[in-house]
Amino acid sequence: MNMYLHELKSLGKSTLIWACSILAIAVIYFSLYPGIVKDAADFKSLLSGYPAEIRAMLGISLDNITTILGYYSMIFSFVAICGAIQATNYGLSTLSKEARERTADFLLVKPVSRASIVTSKLLAALTMLLATNVLYFIGAFVTANLVKTSDYNVKLFFLVSLTLLFLQLIFFALGAFISVFFKKLKSVLPISLGVVFGLYILGAVLVTGEDDVARFISPFQYFNIGYILNNAGYESTYMITGALIVAVTIAASYIIYVKKDIHAVN
Amino acid sequence: MNVIEIEKLTKNYGKSRGIIDVNLTIEQGEVFGFIGPNGAGKSTTIRTLLGLIHPTSGSAKIFGKSCFDSPEVRREVGYLPSEVFYYDNMRVIDLLKYSASFYKKDCTKRINELAEIMDLDLNKKIDDLSFGNKKKVGIVQGLLHEPKLIILDEPTSGLDPLMQQKFFDLIAGENKKGATVFFSSHILGEVQKMCSRVALIKDGRIIKLEKMSSLQENSYKRIKLETKSAMYKDAFNIDGISKLELKGNSADFIYKGNINSIIRRIGEFELANLTIDEPDLEEIFMHYYAKED
Repeated sequence: MNMYLHELKSLGKSTLIWACSILAIAVIYFSLYPGIVKDAADFKSLLSGYPAEIRAMLGISLDNITTILGYYSMIFSFVAICGAIQATNYGLSTLSKEARERTADFLLVKPVSRASIVTSKLLAALTMLLATNVLYFIGAFVTANLVKTSDYNVKLFFLVSLTLLFLQLIFFALGAFISVFFKKLKSVLPISLGVVFGLYILGAVLVTGEDDVARFISPFQYFNIGYILNNAGYESTYMITGALIVAVTIAASYIIYVKKDIHAVN
Repeated sequence: MNVIEIEKLTKNYGKSRGIIDVNLTIEQGEVFGFIGPNGAGKSTTIRTLLGLIHPTSGSAKIFGKSCFDSPEVRREVGYLPSEVFYYDNMRVIDLLKYSASFYKKDCTKRINELAEIMDLDLNKKIDDLSFGNKKKVGIVQGLLHEPKLIILDEPTSGLDPLMQQKFFDLIAGENKKGATVFFSSHILGEVQKMCSRVALIKDGRIIKLEKMSSLQENSYKRIKLETKSAMYKDAFNIDGISKLELKGNSADFIYKGNINSIIRRIGEFELANLTIDEPDLEEIFMHYYAKED
């Protein structure tokens, strides 16, 4: 419990900044929504000038772009990228922190097992990701209600927003998995930016349609917002794939971290 | 009871050597010195003992248990690494309290006592501390739970002589209260002051294990002198002198034997300069090798 609280505390400020930043993206875009509704026809014709691939990549669907849910699904690609960066950062940094800050000789000679260190660290980071999602959802929900011009399906809004948490879980687990292979991970952000944008672009370039197997490559493709809006649910194949990725990478992280040699700093 | 039992411990780092077939047994209440040049394998041995590094073969046990199988044995261990690093944005007192929280007992009183002895400001941020002060945090951190086994890895680097003395007094006090001390160093003098037994390690192997008293009989001095007038050729052709280098008016050698007789010989000259040092360990090791061959 002491380790969990310590880790929680060390993430506090960063979580607040990330949650506010992610929320700010949604708020800024939502603030444009009333204007877009007013000039709906112009906006649609502007978007129809974009290549179809770009529209698909950004989650834009011309039919419902001027409804709040349609508009939200466009905003959400940016929210998802930002959230994925946060989660990858947390994943990469939490288990590599002792090597980076050279505090391994402090924490790892305490009378606790390595596995319990991993558990405390992962739980603390997951708690903070959950807090980020709660803050984000409340903020986004309030903003959507302020700018809405007609009523919308709140359940769908929630289902779309919840994919932020799923994506974050996957990227967090990937980050943790990557980090245990490093002897000393000096800076986290370049790697997380690489992983997130790499997978995002890979997904956007390779995936051509809803039935494309290439969708498995990029977690960003696991949650097709169009599908969620039409079916009020998630695609179970991809939910299971996501869950498997999380389970396997977290289990591997435990095993590797416990077996690791912790070398003297220099 | 044996506090530390190291049996046939070997660690390879890929192709490069770590330690080879190290055997050590340390009894309760001992102050045990572990000396060897940098890179000889002292830290590797200690880190394996503490459960930071997995052995390639053999075993390292504390209180009869391996730190990997029973991490809770580390509750009785206090460890001071050669270089200390802590979470920079914490205050000293918060770090010490965090450290204490692992040991399931109230350490507040001991923290305050130790901080007073070591003259450490508990309210400063760790980030703002000098290297020496961080070292003091390390000392308090390692001793605050009154461990039964104290493991020191080159503990005095970064401490000024006054603090070193306080530190040694502190360790001696803990030893009197019953704590076993495992003291690794590359400075022979440090070890000589405190330890009852000593192991010498070189190139990953223990090459000598003996009582301090017998090592002290073999006390080596490195002597350098410069004279104002030329020395006669056989001036230092006496027993106990080795590695003699004569260059004009200066002489440089290692002496083992009665210190008075060498001083008398040196006194025959009109000196311009004289230094008497502990020889470095390499040189002493060479002697041990020479004797064993």
